[in-house]
Parts: sequence; C-alpha cells; structure tokens
Amino acid sequence: MPDAPSSTPIVKVANLDKYFGRLHVLKSLDLEVAPREVVCIIGRSGSGKSTLLRCINFLEEPSAGIIEVDSVRVEGGEKGKRHRQLIHDVRLKTGMVFQEFNLFPHMSVLDNVIEGPVTVKGMDRLKAVELGEMNLDRVGMFFKKDEYPNRLSGGQKQRVAIARALTMEPKVMLFDEPTSALDPELIGEVLNVMKKLAQEGMTMLVVTHEMGFAREVADRVVVMAEGEIIEIANPTDLFAQPRDPRTQALIDRYRTGGG
Amino acid sequence: MKPLPSNPDPQAKSQAELLYEAQQRKVRQFRTNVAFSWIFLILFLGVLFSGDNLNLGFSLIRLDTEFISENIAFIGSGIGVTIYISLLSIALAIILALLAALGRLSTFPPFYALSTFYVSLIRGTPLYLQIFFFFLALPQLGIVLPGLWAGVLALGLNYGAYMSETFRAGLSSVGKGQREAAFALGMTQGQMMRRIVLPQALRFAIPPMGNDFIAMTKDSALVAATGFVHELMWRATRVGRSNLRNMEALIMAAFFYWIMTLILTAIQSRIESRLSRGDR
Repeated sequence: MPDAPSSTPIVKVANLDKYFGRLHVLKSLDLEVAPREVVCIIGRSGSGKSTLLRCINFLEEPSAGIIEVDSVRVEGGEKGKRHRQLIHDVRLKTGMVFQEFNLFPHMSVLDNVIEGPVTVKGMDRLKAVELGEMNLDRVGMFFKKDEYPNRLSGGQKQRVAIARALTMEPKVMLFDEPTSALDPELIGEVLNVMKKLAQEGMTMLVVTHEMGFAREVADRVVVMAEGEIIEIANPTDLFAQPRDPRTQALIDRYRTGGG
Repeated sequence: MKPLPSNPDPQAKSQAELLYEAQQRKVRQFRTNVAFSWIFLILFLGVLFSGDNLNLGFSLIRLDTEFISENIAFIGSGIGVTIYISLLSIALAIILALLAALGRLSTFPPFYALSTFYVSLIRGTPLYLQIFFFFLALPQLGIVLPGLWAGVLALGLNYGAYMSETFRAGLSSVGKGQREAAFALGMTQGQMMRRIVLPQALRFAIPPMGNDFIAMTKDSALVAATGFVHELMWRATRVGRSNLRNMEALIMAAFFYWIMTLILTAIQSRIESRLSRGDR
C-alpha cells in the first residue's frame, strides 16, 4: 500500500484540533484511510493517539476540523440537532473496541452482541440473533453465547466486544489499545481475531503498543508525538529506517522491552 | 523444576480440601449454636408471658388470653391495610427517588437545586411532623386529604428523599465506559439510559430498596396517629385502650409486624440471590 492511498478514502480527518481546556492535545491533524486498509497508530502515552481515534466517532468532540467517514462529513465544534444526527450517522458506520472491553454486564454474551442492531437499528430480533451468532462464530465465541461477561477471561471478553461491534455491520473498525488490559498470555487470541478481520478486508484503525502486530498486519503505521503525526510509512520502511529520532526511540524501547 | 510427588492414594484428600472441610465444620457448628440460642430466647419469652406461678416467690406476667382470642382477628385484619399503605408509598418513593437522583446528577443548576432542596427539607424534619402536616395543616389551605392519602404522601416523600441517595449511588456505579460503549453503538441518550444505565443502577439499588420497604411497613404505624387509617397499629391501640389491655394488644401487633418482617426479609434474600446471577 502506497503512502497516499490511491482510491477514495473511507476515513478522512482534516485540520483536526482538540483542546482539553488549555491543553492542545491534537494539533491540526490530517489523515486519510483507504477502504480495506489497516492503519496502526503508535506513540507514547499522552501523544494523543487515543484522542484521535475517539474524535473519529465523536466520543470526544473535536474542537475544530473535519471528520468524514464513508461520505458522512461532520465539522467539529458544531452544535444542534443536525450535528447530532451526523454524529449518529458516523457512529453507525464505525465500530469501536475499547481497552476495557465495556461489555454490558447485565446481558448475556448474545444479548450484548444483538443489543445494538435491535435497539439502534430496530432490526428484527431473529435476524439480529442470526447475525450475532454468525459474528460470535467469527471470533470463536459462539460456544459462550449464553454466558454472562463476568464469567469470561479478558481475551474472551475482548473477542465478544469485537463481535458486538461487527454485528452493527460497520464500514470501519476502531480499536483503542485492544490488548493493553490483557494478561500477556491472552493477547494472542485477540490479535489473531484482528488479523483475520484484516485479511477479510475490514478497514481498521488500531491504536496499539503491539509492534509485532503493526509490523505484520498494518498497511501503514502512523507515529504520533505531542499531538502531531510525526511520521506515516509502511511498516517495513518504518521499522527499518525511521526518519524521526522519536520514532527510532519508540521502536528501540519496544525492541529492548521484548515487544 | 522437581516433579510433584505422586499421590499414592487417589481417594486421599489434599491439605487444602481438609482445611476447607474443617472450616465448614466450624461454620456449621456456629450456626447450630445460634439457632439453639434463638430457640432458647423464644422459649424464655414464652415462659415469661405464660403467667405460670413457679413458686419462686414471684409470678410471671399473666396475659388475658380471653382478650387475645377475642381481638386477634380484629387486629390481624389490619395487616392488609398496612401492606397496602406500604406498597402505595414505596411506589411513590421510587418515582420521587429516581427523579431526585437524576436531578442530583444533572448539570442544569435548577434541577440540581430542586433535588438537593427536596432532600434537605425532608431529611431535616421528622416523619411524624410530615404526616401531620399533610393531614392537619393542609386543611387550613382548604386541602383536605383523607388520612390514608396524607400518610401515603408523607411516607412516599420521606422515603423518596432517603432512597434518592441509593439511586444516585446506583447511577454512579455504572461506569463511564458503559455509556461510551452505548454511544459508540449509536444509541441516543434515552436508549443508553433505558437499556444500559438504569437496568444496572436498579440492580444495584434493589437490595437497599428492599430494606427500605421493610422499614416502611413499620413506619406506616405512624399513620395510625391520624386516627382514620385502620391499619395494625390503629387497631391495636383502639382495642387496647378501650379494654385497658394495652400490653396484650401491643404484643399482638408486635407479633404481626415481626412475622411480616421475617417473611419480607426471606422474600428479599431470595430476590437478591436471583439478582446476583450474572454479575458482580
């Protein structure tokens, strides 16, 4: 995949600014993601990578700038009914997976997965169950469909969370440090599911510390520092010869850390 | 690593199992002893009020059994009214508590103020006064409420104020991540509340709500003071006073309240164990 995607981008971030009070956490960012592309976002904590991801589906309201997902164009910092409607449209086109899973503890695994389609889309329950079971099967969690989330391991929870997002049939999947809350021995099963998704052609934005995953699966890697994108490159080039010394430092840190 | 020593007898119990069993034996022994002590205390109460002359130089308390058998049905038929008042009041209290809790979590100053004002006013005054306010003070303004409704209003308002704290804690117990997950799925604020936050908050609030309901069945006795609601306490004081048999009458009422509490507590613990399925 070339540095600038050739086809029409499915995600477009332009001039994105985000302030937390006086703190300028995202500084006029631009990013385009092509359909079926996997983009990993790396950077030290506090570099703004999670905030960037959360601005794309408006869990954080951008202070200024434009977010466009699959032709739905939203300007940051606006208010009003139309703006809320646009945010809703963007959220229907994006699926999100959180670091802390955030499964609904009062619902069984299957009910977690079909909650979105039934409540938000008004989908017929039987149809939602069929779709939900198919997606649970995709992540290898069908056998636990009647369990409650607290009976599952962290890795299993995250796989269910991925199935929950997939059952909304999103155009783009957003992963916010999906393996950071997991015990080391459980990381693999989640990464494998994500790898499979990537192979199936899902467009993915992944904020991660898993350099191995980025190197193997990503089409492009975005490096962030102090609220700016300091480097975008394909993983082979990036890991072989990073242009920015901060990228070099980041890679070295994970190399010595064994990551 | 050294291989674990092979177990010569597969039937033999491990150290941990033996320890666990010993602990269980201790717990069972303790429970049995408590049960026996309860039986002893109940027997003691029974003997104390039996009126037997034990030739110890004093006689025990003698209750008027004829009075008891004549009036037990009259007093007991107040249970229905007591439960009726409690159910109406708890329903009102739940609605008020939920509104007050939402107000307390609101960022809109008038809502927040209204909520804290209500809770402060109610918690700062006695329930007994509140009942009389609705029953005796409102008629001065031309609002005459029947005793039952004055009682239900006062109890509902009072318990609503206390329960709002429980609800607030319940609502805050649902983490930010739950709301974000709901929003990420495209839910509206209302859908998020109805489908994700309230079910979890209610589950959190149900055990304390059960306690409140049980407490309310007893506080409903205060409504007797209006003189127009024929619940347990009213009936007991009425026959007790007119026959100068207050001890018998109040013991009967106490007995009914106690049994009611025991039954409600048993129901509550069943509901709780069913709710604990699934999470926490």
